[in-house]
Amino acid sequence: MWLRGWIMLSVLTSIALIVLFVGFLIHASLPFFSEYGVSPIIGREWYPYEDLYGFLPALVGSAWAIAIALIIALPCGLAAAIVSVEILPLRYQSTVNLGIDILAGIPSVVYGLLGIALLLPWLENNLDLLTGHSLLAAGLLLSVMILPTITRLSQDAFRDIDNSYREAANNLGLNWSQQLVAVLLPQAWPSIRSASLLATGRGLGETIAVMLVVGSIDRLPDPWYNLLTPAQTITSRIGREMGEASVGSDQWSALMACGLVLTLCVAVLSIIAHTPHKRAAHD
Amino acid sequence: MINRASKFALCLLALPALVVPALCLAYLLMRGLPGLDSSFFGLSTLEQSRDTASLSNQHGIFPQIMGSVLLSALACSIAMPLALGLSLHNQLYAGRRSQSLMVHVLTTFQSIPPLVYGLCGLVVFVHLLQWGISLAAGAIVLAMIVLPVLTLNTIHALERIPTALTDSARSLGMSAGQIIWHVWRPKAWRSLLTGLFLAIARTLSETAPILFTATVFSGVIWPDSLLSPVTSLQTHIFYLAQEAVDERILAHAWSSALILVTLVVMFSVIAHFLNRHSSGNE
Repeated sequence: MWLRGWIMLSVLTSIALIVLFVGFLIHASLPFFSEYGVSPIIGREWYPYEDLYGFLPALVGSAWAIAIALIIALPCGLAAAIVSVEILPLRYQSTVNLGIDILAGIPSVVYGLLGIALLLPWLENNLDLLTGHSLLAAGLLLSVMILPTITRLSQDAFRDIDNSYREAANNLGLNWSQQLVAVLLPQAWPSIRSASLLATGRGLGETIAVMLVVGSIDRLPDPWYNLLTPAQTITSRIGREMGEASVGSDQWSALMACGLVLTLCVAVLSIIAHTPHKRAAHD
Repeated sequence: MINRASKFALCLLALPALVVPALCLAYLLMRGLPGLDSSFFGLSTLEQSRDTASLSNQHGIFPQIMGSVLLSALACSIAMPLALGLSLHNQLYAGRRSQSLMVHVLTTFQSIPPLVYGLCGLVVFVHLLQWGISLAAGAIVLAMIVLPVLTLNTIHALERIPTALTDSARSLGMSAGQIIWHVWRPKAWRSLLTGLFLAIARTLSETAPILFTATVFSGVIWPDSLLSPVTSLQTHIFYLAQEAVDERILAHAWSSALILVTLVVMFSVIAHFLNRHSSGNE
């Protein structure tokens, strides 16, 4: 009977934790939305001292950072997956995986340290900037951080392809690159798509490393493609200001609202990433 | 010819994925190793350690290491029994519908950024329950972060056990408890341990969620109770990185980072080899 009790206890605790989490998110950010409405989400100014809480600079910053990261990490990670699964002999695969596992485990604060000590001075010197703190730095750092996620999940995508497809393609006389483009990539595509969605979610939620290099200045990039000035992302704003916001103030609940927006974005990405994947498996 | 060219191009493109991280690790070693002297570990005499007094007390880096390990151990000892219970429920009592609902909920919660869990901990445990910045708040937040991963891993491990085994155990009249102990445990313990080690590595490397809930910069050597704050390696590095102008502080940060990465890598390497053995056995 202790078994049943233990199982019931853990189920109830988990449900309680979920209710607690969802309840907290809504309860903590509700004061903000009831006072300011939803218009701040597209507001351009964020000055807590003047009660201006526009989310747009941070949203744009997050979008740029993750876009840069994906542009770099997606081709690299995909290529790494193809090389390690389709080209490397089987006996090296475990070593490569060990390497990727280690990489995936490097804490984000260490990447932040690397960013501050290596990336920022490098950007300052080569691009002749006043400060290296910029969206570009955040994007570059994020690209290294989401690379293991993309590589690992794409590897699984290629491993899951049944060998009969490769044999059939061989029998048709397709050469290696034709096989890759016509058979393997289309087969792996649904998983690669969800891999990049999940990596996007990871990148959006990444806090510490981004916070250390992005500059934390609430300003829209001007002009909109200027990635070389200090900016802000949602996570860096929460991380920077949470410590100084007083409990229960407008700024406090505005930051909680930022958290809610972030959670919704990431949860939607995750749900999209997992849904069609299942359908493909059913066919 | 085309094959050669495309393979070469792919390898070139894949190179950063394998080389950049290796370079990062090499750089970390290069910057971190020189700092690992006796004063870093607090073993030097008082006179020597006086000039780094602002960074560390006579205990060196040990309070930070202890804090990290303590947080991680507490978080995992909260999360592991819960994960086991949840996955056993999933395996023994849940219907098909609630099984898939559970997996969906867990995967969604798995994707929620750790920072948001930190906010939740800050609101609920630190302020609402008045625990203050404390070991307990940080441990529960970290437990919430690893719970979905750990549970999904355990569910997969139990699902990999052939149903024929379970069915024949049932037809022999074994109780649920006997099946778990005599049939499932010998089959699944490696995968469970893999999951546990990965969870430890994960809790050791999270920084954002414990920044506001559990840790202070200095002044703590050993937490008096569950409700007192701790220092941790992760947040220590973070605070030092913000002061990146001073070369000495930076050197201290690199050495701390080296220690942290060593700890994390140790656990993920153990998990990697356990996992390889468990898949090799089947």
